[in-house]
Formats: sequence, structure tokens, C-alpha cells
Amino acid sequence: MLRRAIAAAAIIATATACAPPQADTSGDGGDRTTGQLKVWLFQETSNGPKEGVVDQAVAEFEAAHDDVTVDVEYLPVDGRASRFNGAFNDPDSAPDVAEFGNTDLAGYVASNGFADLTGDLEQWADAGDLVPEVLDTAKIDGRTYGVPWFTGTRALYYRTDVFTELGLEPPATLAELTTTARAIRAAKPDLYGIAVGGKYLFALLPYIWANGGDIARRDGDAWSATIDSAEARAGLAQYAELLRPDICPPAQCAQLTGSQSVAAFAGGKAAMTIGGDFNRAAVDAGAVKDDYAVVPLPGTAPGEIAPAFAGGNLLGVFGSSERRTLAWEFVQLLGGKEYQRKMYAAMGTMPTFADVQDEIATDDPFLAPFIETVQAGTRFVPATPAWTQIDAQSVLPTAVQQVATGQQDVDTATSAAAAEMDAAFAGS
Amino acid sequence: MLPQITPAAPGDRTRPARQGPQRGQARAAVLYLLPTAVILLALLAYPIYQLVVISFYDYGQPQAAGAAPLVFLGFDNYVTLLGDPQFWDVLGATVVFAAVCVVGSLLVGTALAVLATRASPLPRMLLFLAALGAWATPAMAGSYVWLFLFDQDFGIVNEVLGLEGHSWTFERFSAFGLVAAEVVWCSFPFVMVTMYAGIKAIAPEVLEAAALDGATATRTATAVILPILRPLLMIATIQSIIWDFKVFTQIYVMTNGGGVAGQNLVLNVFAYQKAFAGEQYGLGAAIGVVMTVLLLSITGLYVRTQRRAG
Amino acid sequence: MKTRVADVACVVIALVVAFPLYWMVLSALKPAGEIRAADPRPWTLAPTLDSFRRVLAVEDFGLYFLNSLVVAAAVVALSLVVSFLAAVALTRFRFRGRTVLLVMLLVAQMVPVEALTIPLFFLVRSFGDVVPAIGLNELGSLVLVHLAFSLPFAIWMLRGFVAAVPAELEEAASIDGASRFRFTWQVLFPLVAPGLVAASVLSFIHAWNDFLFAKTFLISGTDNRTLPLGLLVFFKPEEQDWGAIMAGATLMTVPVLVFFVAVQRHLVSGLGGAVKG
Repeated sequence: MLRRAIAAAAIIATATACAPPQADTSGDGGDRTTGQLKVWLFQETSNGPKEGVVDQAVAEFEAAHDDVTVDVEYLPVDGRASRFNGAFNDPDSAPDVAEFGNTDLAGYVASNGFADLTGDLEQWADAGDLVPEVLDTAKIDGRTYGVPWFTGTRALYYRTDVFTELGLEPPATLAELTTTARAIRAAKPDLYGIAVGGKYLFALLPYIWANGGDIARRDGDAWSATIDSAEARAGLAQYAELLRPDICPPAQCAQLTGSQSVAAFAGGKAAMTIGGDFNRAAVDAGAVKDDYAVVPLPGTAPGEIAPAFAGGNLLGVFGSSERRTLAWEFVQLLGGKEYQRKMYAAMGTMPTFADVQDEIATDDPFLAPFIETVQAGTRFVPATPAWTQIDAQSVLPTAVQQVATGQQDVDTATSAAAAEMDAAFAGS
Repeated sequence: MLPQITPAAPGDRTRPARQGPQRGQARAAVLYLLPTAVILLALLAYPIYQLVVISFYDYGQPQAAGAAPLVFLGFDNYVTLLGDPQFWDVLGATVVFAAVCVVGSLLVGTALAVLATRASPLPRMLLFLAALGAWATPAMAGSYVWLFLFDQDFGIVNEVLGLEGHSWTFERFSAFGLVAAEVVWCSFPFVMVTMYAGIKAIAPEVLEAAALDGATATRTATAVILPILRPLLMIATIQSIIWDFKVFTQIYVMTNGGGVAGQNLVLNVFAYQKAFAGEQYGLGAAIGVVMTVLLLSITGLYVRTQRRAG
Repeated sequence: MKTRVADVACVVIALVVAFPLYWMVLSALKPAGEIRAADPRPWTLAPTLDSFRRVLAVEDFGLYFLNSLVVAAAVVALSLVVSFLAAVALTRFRFRGRTVLLVMLLVAQMVPVEALTIPLFFLVRSFGDVVPAIGLNELGSLVLVHLAFSLPFAIWMLRGFVAAVPAELEEAASIDGASRFRFTWQVLFPLVAPGLVAASVLSFIHAWNDFLFAKTFLISGTDNRTLPLGLLVFFKPEEQDWGAIMAGATLMTVPVLVFFVAVQRHLVSGLGGAVKG
């Protein structure tokens, strides 16, 4: 009798324990008006200026709200996935407000991580001034989950001294860029024609887009990969052409990321690079600080600009936050026009309000090519959780590396990439 | 990792105990084992059980956060895994890489142990201290140091060898070789120390007898010392296999997450990419289970061949 | 092989083996210009503490260091006691299923721990509901987890040492009227000290180096961060700040090295003694 009872208990225990663990989100959410507001922001390489601006916002917020304190924590960007996932899986450890990359949004929304701010934005007068395409990067299925805090685009940095010496003009088309880079390296073998890398996804994408292709397409609710279309293949092939010994040798360049490519340019090892407006500080700190200029990355025909990737970070409210209104008010403050202007002054990041953009463009000629690029039209990656997976598995960089090292030809590599992407889309 | 030998553990061959103490023994055994049992059951056995369960589900970050329902997949994760050509490629690479590391550590460790027995105390102490230093270095620190030593622009190795800008991590075999060298560097010390202790413990009479019989140094080594040390070697090998098969940090750091186009992936890093970077915890769990089963088979096979060899 | 040749070989090999460590400390002390020079030299005439200063300037560095130390020390202390008891039970007591348990301990070492982070995350979270000190965001959770991971190997290691103590000793003690408890702690424990040292060294390394579980369990609040997490911001080879990376690596290695050097005498002598069994 006892044995049977024990056996039964064991079976019940096994059965109930026989499912993967899940977070209990039943007690989530609330709207307390006092207490501590937890905020997570990203830690920049030189974080001082950012902290200065944020401290001002905190002081202003605390002064305006009784019995409220704001606790800001700065996270290293590299380790953010486990922090955010941990916060989604354990709502007790979650903050109220967070800064996050717009490419991470789809995955976070799939975990119900962030609150739907569509209604709040409709009631915010300033929201109407947000650049529409930038605001789109904060939307999933038409609902908005964050306020774009800053945006970043990339353009072509080049060495004015090298160009003058060799009598060259900044390239007007992508094809011209390739020949110019080749000519530079032929004349100066110790320079890369252009510093780009196999892992520099956001330099690859403009090539694909400029050639008329895209990496994926949405049909209703389903996504399918289009990296194997003729246009996309042409774009990828054109980019991989840069990773050749006569421009940027694969042995050095196949593994380079965006920041490494810019670092190579800043260190004087390359005559050109594709860099962001946010890379300005790094380039100015390098050996080339007085000898460079920026133009928009050209398209395939003269006069065209290659569509740039609309990078940027958003400020959002955690779905599990117990102080929703307070959190939203803080987002409005820190993400509003005044503080975006201050962040630009401190960190050089581009604001997301069209009027603020125009203001600073007139004051700072450095930003002109970037704003030109933004306003020529930016594009984004597939806004679906499967993108997190595709990005993490480096599907596209792998394809580029295969082609650059000669291990596979363009068709094989892109077909393989398309297959992997479709598998990821199907699984999500 | 220090393997331990017990050529003849006296405790295993106790005389039959009297009846009274035997019952007391069982009770005392339970008491002594209780803390271990509680900790291991709760923190190792249960999570391993959950790992197996997870591998049967479509379990990703949304499911973990409670935002999406669980979908039971049965063996689908395993089918996907075993049908993925990349998995087999990575598996092959892992087996070869681990084999090289194991053989390397054993050879270097044993050779240096023999060398140490022949040297005077001071040089021997220097060697041991250097080896302990290598062993003490955390895997992450060691990986970065070796990466810097072999850096294509600023590394001293390239300067000494006169190779300008040569990248050691670009080619598949070169990258694997570099990581294997680092792994052997930090693994050989325990093989060395253990084998040294083993050799030292051989009764001098045995060696004298061999010398009296006219055996040369080599013959003494192979016919006398090696058989005595065989159990020691076996345990050292098993532990090395277990550890080198699961190498993660060194590969991850030194090949930047798996090398160009993932050519330097080993199973543990592959699982990490799929499970964590890709947030497919179900598939990652399947890989973990497969890895454990593989290790078990390899170790079991090794033990059986050793037993058969006498 | 003549002793002199062996001596020279030993010294040369010692230098080669120690070279990476020397390079690590040297690079940490080199000024930035020399590190990124086209022709690096194996010495520096202008040592500077600049790299160390930058790493130590990480906010709360001292706290992270202390946290790592506390976790490692707790793991060592607990693992010594628990694994000793288990080793005694598995070696000196006879009972059914002993071999099975031993084999299971070996198998337990085969599981890739990286795969267990998600189940352990939720488990630790449940623990935290009952006993806050061992829940998420607490150092206690790290202590527990590392204790569990280092136990199987520690027990395996100690088994041999415990078994090497002759049964006659125990019988003599019981004839003298000593209880089993007294014998275990007052006689057996000191006798297997070298084995305990070896096992503790490994537990220490395991806990000290951990990055993955600290990253997974410590989500909110910075008070409980451990050293590897604090140094993460420097370990970015793409920024090529090798000076800071080497300084960080040195700081991570020094405590382990100190521990090793302190116990190395016992380590080698202990192994020698145990093998004589």
C-alpha cells in the first residue's frame, strides 16, 4: 500500500515537473507613483559625457516628482542579451526603463518584454516630429514599443590627403568606389583601399539595397529570404570584391567588424571606410584626425545614395514595470527634444526629431552627409524575432566570408544563407 | 585537473566486517553522503533531467519568458540536429581537436615528468613553478595572452619569426593549432605532476632489479615503468578526454566565436551559438545531451580497450 | 640522460613555459606606445602603471574582487568538508550501490555545464523565493552552483587519498576507544590533507574563473558583480587596448597564482604519498 502511494507520488511529481520551466508573469505590471525607478542604459566607451546628461535628467525628474528616486545602471553592450533575457525571465529583477537597440526590438517583443506605447505616443505632441522611418524601427506589427533616442547612419569616410596626392575624386558610384580603392592600394601597398570587413553587416546591406535587392521579404505574416535573388547576389558579390588582396586582403579583413574597420581607418591603415556619425570621436582620436572628410555612400548610378541602415537605440518601458506612468514620464523627459539635443552636444549622437536634426545640421557641417543619407531614405532589417537568431548565427557574414576566401562562389553561398534564413523564419 | 591513482586501495579489500558494525556502517554512510546527495541531486541531477525534458520541446526565449506556449516536439530537435551537416562537421573537428590536445598533454606531461626525475632539485623546482603558473592562469587570461603573443601586427612571435602581418587565426588548421597549443600549455602541468609522483613512488628496488637484469633505460621505461603507471595514465587520459572534449573559452576567445565562417567551431561553442546566441534553448539542450552521450561512449570505449589490453 | 643535460633542459623549458606569463605582466606594464609598436621588445625601459590604473578605475573594482574572493573561498571551504565526508563514505563503508554512485559521479563530470544555465536559472529563482540568500542576484547562488560542479571531481580525487590510509589505523583507534567520528576528523582528515589541498585548488579555480553563471544569475544591481563581469568591458580585442587586457588578465591570475604557490609543496608531496598506497 505504502509502496503504491510512493510510486503514485513519484509519477505525479515527474509528470508535473515534466515541462520546461517558464516565468510566471501573472503578477506583472502596476502603476505605483512613488519609490525607486530603475533605469538601464548602455555604457559607452567614454561614458562620462553621457552620465553627465543623464544625471541632469535624473535631477530634473526627481525634483518634479515627490518621493521618487531614479537609479541608473550602465550595462556593457556585449553582455546585454543575458541581462535582458534574465529580466524577462525574472520580472522581479527587471528595470522600469531601458535603452535598447532597435534591432533587438522584435525579439524582446516576442518575449512580451516591453510595453505598448502606441497610445502614449498619440497623446504626446512632440511625437509628431519624429522622423517617420526612424519611428518605424520602433514598431512591430503597427504597435510602437519605444521612443527612438538616437539614430545612426553610415557614410563613406575618406582620406583627403591620399586623394589629393593621387589626384582622385570621391567615388560617385559603387563601381567607382571599387576601382578607386584598387588604384589607391596599387599606388600605396601599405594602405587598404577601403577598410571593410566580413563581419560588417551594416556595410554589406547598403550594397544589397543599392543594387535593388533585399535580404528578406514579407508576405502577409510570413517572411521569406530573398538574399538569393539576382539583385541581392549582385550586391553581395560587389561587396565581397572589396575583400580581395588588391583592396582589403581577406587574411586581415574577413574577420573585421564595423568598429574594427573604423579603427583601422582611424589608425591610418586605410584610405576609406564606411563609418557612422557615431564613429566621429574614434576617428578624431586617431592618427588621421585632420585628413579626412565624409560623403554619402554612393549608389549604383551617379547621383544616387545607397540606402543606409537606420541604426539606433530606443527608450522603452518594461512590460513588467510596476510604475508604468512614472516610467513613461521619464522616457518622455530623457527621450524628449531637450535631452536629445544635450546628448548630441555631449556624445555626438544624431537626434530623431526632424526639427532638431535640421537645427543641428545648420550648426555642424560634419553631420551634413549623414543627414543627407537619412533623408534619402533608410532601410531596416526584418522586424521579426527570427532576425535575432539569424544575426546571432552570423548567416550573412558567413556567406560573405565564404565568398571572400574563395571557399564558395556567390550563388552557393547565398543559396545556403537563404536556406538558413528560411529555416529561421519558419521556426519563429 | 589532478587525476588520482590507487594501484591497490586497501579500503576496497577490507576483511568481512562483523554484523553489528555493518549496520552502523550503512547508517553512517547515509549520513556522510547526505550533504553531497542533497546538493548534487538538487543542483546537478534535476537540471540535467530538465535539460533532457527541454530538448523535447520547442523552447526559446519567448517560451521561457512565459510569452508563448510550449510545443512538444518529441525527437524533432534531435532529428534536426543529426540532419544538419554542420553538426557532423563540427563533431569531427571536435574529436580531432580533443584527440590532439589529449595526446599532446600526455606526451608533453610524461616526457617532462621523466625529465624532472633526472634533474637536480633546483632546476626541477623551477620547472614545476613555471608549470604551476601555466596551470593557474585562468582560461580567459591565458587565451588573451596567447592571442596577443600571436597577434598579426603586434605579436612578438611574428616579429621573432620575421612574418609581417601573418594571421595565425585565419586558416582553419592554423587557428586550431594555436588553440591546441594553448590548451596543451595549461593542461600538461597536471599530467606532469601526477606522472612525476607516480614515477617517484615506484619502489627503487624494482628499478634496481631491472638495472641488475641488464635492462637499458628505454627498456626499463617501456617494460617496467609504463605498466606500473598504466592505471595512472588511464585516469589521466579519461580526465583529459572529458575536459578537452568540452573546451569552450579558449576556442571562443581565440577564434572570435568560431573562426571565419564558423570553421573553428567545436561542439560546446556550437551549442552556445545555437542555444544562447540563437536563443533556441530546446535545440541547445539537444546538443548538450548528445555531447554527454558521446563523451560517455568515447570514455566507455577507451576503458574497454584498456581493459582488454590487460 | 646525464643530470647536467637534464638540468639545462629543465631550465630552458621552464623559461619557455613561463614566457607567456612574463609577457602578460610585461605588456601590462608597458606604455601604450610600446605595446602597439611595429617591433615589440621583450623588455621595457619605461614601465608604467597606467594600464593597471585604467583597469582599477573601473567603478567598484575592489568590491568585485572581494565578491569573487568570497565566492571562491566559500566554495573551497564547503567543498572540502562535503567532499571529504562523501569520499570517506564511498571508500571506507561498504554498502550496496557504491560502484554505481562512483560511476555516476564520473558521468556527472561529462555534462557540459554551459547547457545547464537555463534550468539552473529557474531553479535558483525558486530557491530565492524560499531562501533569499541563495536566489537570483545573490552571491549565495553562485556558491551553491560551483560547489555542485566541483564536488564530483573533488570526491573522485579524495577517494584515493582516503583509501590509502590503512584499515589497521582505524581498527587500532577503535580499540583505543575512539569513536568513528573522532577518528574521522582527528586522524583521517589531517592524513589526507594533501588531497584536500589538491581538491580545494581545483574548486578555487573553478569558482574564481566563472563568468557564465555570474552573467546568468546576477541580473539587477551592481553590488554582487564578480571580477570577470567587471573586467568584461576591457576584454574587447577589437578595440585593441592590449595594455588594459593584459592588466585585467594579470589581476585575474595573481590570486590563483598566489594560492598555487602557497600550496604547491603540499600538492606534489601529497601526490607522492598517496601513490605509495
